[in-house]
Amino acid sequence: MATKTKSSAQRDTPKWEMVIDLDRCTGCQACVIACQAENNIPINEESAFHEHRAIQWIRIERYWEGEFPDVKARFLPLLCQQCDNAPCEPVCPVYATYHNEEGLNVQVYNRCVGTRYCGNNCPYHARLFNYWEPVWPEDLRNQLNPDVTVRTRGVMEKCTFCIQRIRRATRGGEAVEDGALQPACVQSCPTSALVFGNANDPDAKVTRLKNDERHFRVMEHLGTDPSVTYLKQVDVDG
Amino acid sequence: MGLTRRRFLQWAGATGIGAVVFNGCRVPDHEIQVQSPVQIPEDLVTGRDNYYATVIQGPSSSEGLLVRVMEGRAKKVEGNPDYPMNTGKHGLRAEALLQAAYHPDRIKTPLRRVAKGGPYRPIGWPEAIGELTRVLNEADPSRVVLATAPIRGVLADVTHRFADSYGARLIGFDPLDQTVLRAAMKRVFGQDALPDFDIARTGYLLSFGSDFLGTWLDPTHFARGYGEFRQGDGERGYLVQVDSRFSPTAAAADQWVYVTPGSEGLLAMAMIHTIVSDGLGDGAAASALTGGRGASALSAFTPSAVAERVFGETGGGAERIRKMARDFASKEHGQALAIGGGSAGAYANGLFNLTAIYALNHLVGAVDPPNGGGLVFNPPSDEPRITAAPLREWKQLIGDMRAGNVDVLLVRDANIDYGLPGSLGTREALGKVGTIVSFSSFLDETTVLADLILPGSTPLEEWGTDIPDPGPGYRTVAFQQPVINPFHGTLSFGDVLLQTGRELGFGDQLPWATMRDAVRDTARALHETGGGSVTQPTFPEFWKRALERGGWWDMNATAGAASAPPRLPTATVLPKLAGDENQYPFFLVPYEAHGIGAGGFAHLPWVQSAPDPITTVAWATWVDVNPTTARELNLHQDDIVIVGAPNGRFLEAAVYVNPATPPHVVSIPFGGGHEHFTGVAAKRGANVLDILEDSEDTETGALAWAGTRVRLTKTRNRVKLPKLEGNELAVQLPGEEVIEVQHVSR
Repeated sequence: MATKTKSSAQRDTPKWEMVIDLDRCTGCQACVIACQAENNIPINEESAFHEHRAIQWIRIERYWEGEFPDVKARFLPLLCQQCDNAPCEPVCPVYATYHNEEGLNVQVYNRCVGTRYCGNNCPYHARLFNYWEPVWPEDLRNQLNPDVTVRTRGVMEKCTFCIQRIRRATRGGEAVEDGALQPACVQSCPTSALVFGNANDPDAKVTRLKNDERHFRVMEHLGTDPSVTYLKQVDVDG
Repeated sequence: MGLTRRRFLQWAGATGIGAVVFNGCRVPDHEIQVQSPVQIPEDLVTGRDNYYATVIQGPSSSEGLLVRVMEGRAKKVEGNPDYPMNTGKHGLRAEALLQAAYHPDRIKTPLRRVAKGGPYRPIGWPEAIGELTRVLNEADPSRVVLATAPIRGVLADVTHRFADSYGARLIGFDPLDQTVLRAAMKRVFGQDALPDFDIARTGYLLSFGSDFLGTWLDPTHFARGYGEFRQGDGERGYLVQVDSRFSPTAAAADQWVYVTPGSEGLLAMAMIHTIVSDGLGDGAAASALTGGRGASALSAFTPSAVAERVFGETGGGAERIRKMARDFASKEHGQALAIGGGSAGAYANGLFNLTAIYALNHLVGAVDPPNGGGLVFNPPSDEPRITAAPLREWKQLIGDMRAGNVDVLLVRDANIDYGLPGSLGTREALGKVGTIVSFSSFLDETTVLADLILPGSTPLEEWGTDIPDPGPGYRTVAFQQPVINPFHGTLSFGDVLLQTGRELGFGDQLPWATMRDAVRDTARALHETGGGSVTQPTFPEFWKRALERGGWWDMNATAGAASAPPRLPTATVLPKLAGDENQYPFFLVPYEAHGIGAGGFAHLPWVQSAPDPITTVAWATWVDVNPTTARELNLHQDDIVIVGAPNGRFLEAAVYVNPATPPHVVSIPFGGGHEHFTGVAAKRGANVLDILEDSEDTETGALAWAGTRVRLTKTRNRVKLPKLEGNELAVQLPGEEVIEVQHVSR
């Protein structure tokens, strides 16, 4: 079997990845709200939770283990895993989602016709559909981020790794210093549980951490090859 | 070929038609430009953005921010990497401040009631200041009260000067004040300022009741340290959370130790007994704590004597206490540290509890240790601050109001009608006040009772300073600057006081035209020190640089040493829970809601929509009930129950069957149940403050907010709780875990 080697051109192109250390995460929701603010995500009204249609590009899932007094609650920040072998991509009939050269699973809003096939095929439930036209009270529209499109009704959306920040940082072609470019969730995280960077840079923190002995990927057995690596929470026995 | 008139007309016609025809056939430019749709968002942006540094102060938190402003509108809040408290990070409440500035339900202009109890009429600022001046001129200053949320920095100075010059009584209000914690710091360490905790370098952290990763004091600051505590450069720290509720901090802990509500101090005393009797801790500290008598002075606190009361139904016995004590005092892990607060200080024995908890630090060298990892004291500030008064003082004031002894109440973000226990009858007492003047930006429950409203600005529109309390361990002054112009016709509270002070004739006591001038004076004094994080040859350069950095701090200006360990009590102080155990079988352990706090953030949509980390519920108030208890009472998820208190007050809320809730505990988050306070907060959830007994910590008089027993009564009603979780509890399936865990041995 031929061994794949990366050409220098491939190495020069960044490969954006994220590492999430579950031993640092406290489930505080700072990342969730930072993402809402940065990406013009509609306000999730009470009804959105009732209908399980809340739009959160990153959400904190909480899983119980056991019952009082031997109980644990574990937190999992879950966002689009930017899979290298993404199940959402081949099912889109209009090529609204594709994989770009930087490892991002890209969603083109004005191509999307809302079949929701991609959402059905995403095992992480990371793709979210706009069932309604997003509405903000007029005054609150002043906060909207001018760098990010407001998605309309009938369009699928999801985490972009804050592509607008990536574009701004890399425009002009200069190399980005490790850690200088951060998606909104990473930037806010009070415990620094989230780390973002160029995995093609062997010296990047994200490259070092993704090879930590605690690394795993969510539902790795599905073969989706995610670009988000998690570090296991540590349980001290005894 | 000559150009005849006929030929000219032929050409002209052909050219004109051609121009029309060919122009009509041509594809417009914008349609042939090749443009990646992915590129469109940033390509559409016009205008220029700037980042401005400022600070947001909470009752006990301080976050330095960089706000992205574009075309005069604030777009995004980011943490200020320079500011020592949050070093580039920020919490969800700071993020949501943008929504306070652009909230559709803000009060947009001063309002005056047409008649007592009548509708409001918009008025201009000159008329509003004039009316306030008239009211104060006509009133007897000894019968005027100025009530405010806690304030630090320049605004506290201005407020103090105003109240002192006029002669009004000044009082601070926070539903969950830190009176007991402050008293404990004074008693155990002789410190006036709250300390910092060097969590990043702690090896063994023992936390009693303090949800420091959720809502206690300054969670963003503590979370910075927690990340390093877990996976920093040193060995992974070990966290034990002693609590009667399963909080986010308990969820993050290596060990959650349930204790019967109010027995936290008893456990700490028994641990001290073990450490002293085993000779494990600092001998000199042990001698001071026991008056030289050693363990015999603590004979009332032997582990075997207190274990049953501490652990209750979970058992564990004396040996568990001894093991906890030996683990804590062990030299094998790094520096040990004990912290406490929250519900541990919210009983009648709150000060007893916190005294015992913090005294543990004297035994293990955690009092400002040379290698870090312990308590770090903050230098006392020369500048005045306004802290929240304990319930005892508020009871007295409410009594004065009811007796008709308060003619004018000036109120700034002190929503006492919502935040004081309902049994005090605050609304009725407010009805006896002659004139109420509110400076709130929103129509909260107290403001709707006001006769005159002078709407304040939001934090992103104001000048000010903050001296964080707790601070980072050295003198720190943060600068707050308006990153946007006032979005409506509002004026900051400080500027109103300065203007009114001049009108009243004591302008010499308030020697600043505006709050900006007052902040500049503070900056000038810092410049004259010649030291600290910003040093510039001239004041204009210093002013510019200090505003850019968001503040000034001097790492050499640290606190004095702690006082000698105090003599510990020799007898138990009981929590004295209100209500008979048989009639009211459940401990009510309320807690500050993760987003909306004690109700002060309930008007912000992002905060309301942020799911609670433990239950994932948003936009609602719920009652945490243990699964076994739920089965015994035939309660199911989403059933509405009546939670009744011994004072006859009750609330209704839906049940969340919580596998981590102890059987004899019910927990309810604060912050819901507003009648007013914008369309976002109103008529949503229930206000647990309303049903609390007005019991106090016996020594400080602070509200014993965890000291109420309740009973549950099932109703026939159900309501589906809005939550992120599905209809069934999300659990890790054995062998199919979504979240992988690394198991290590101690």
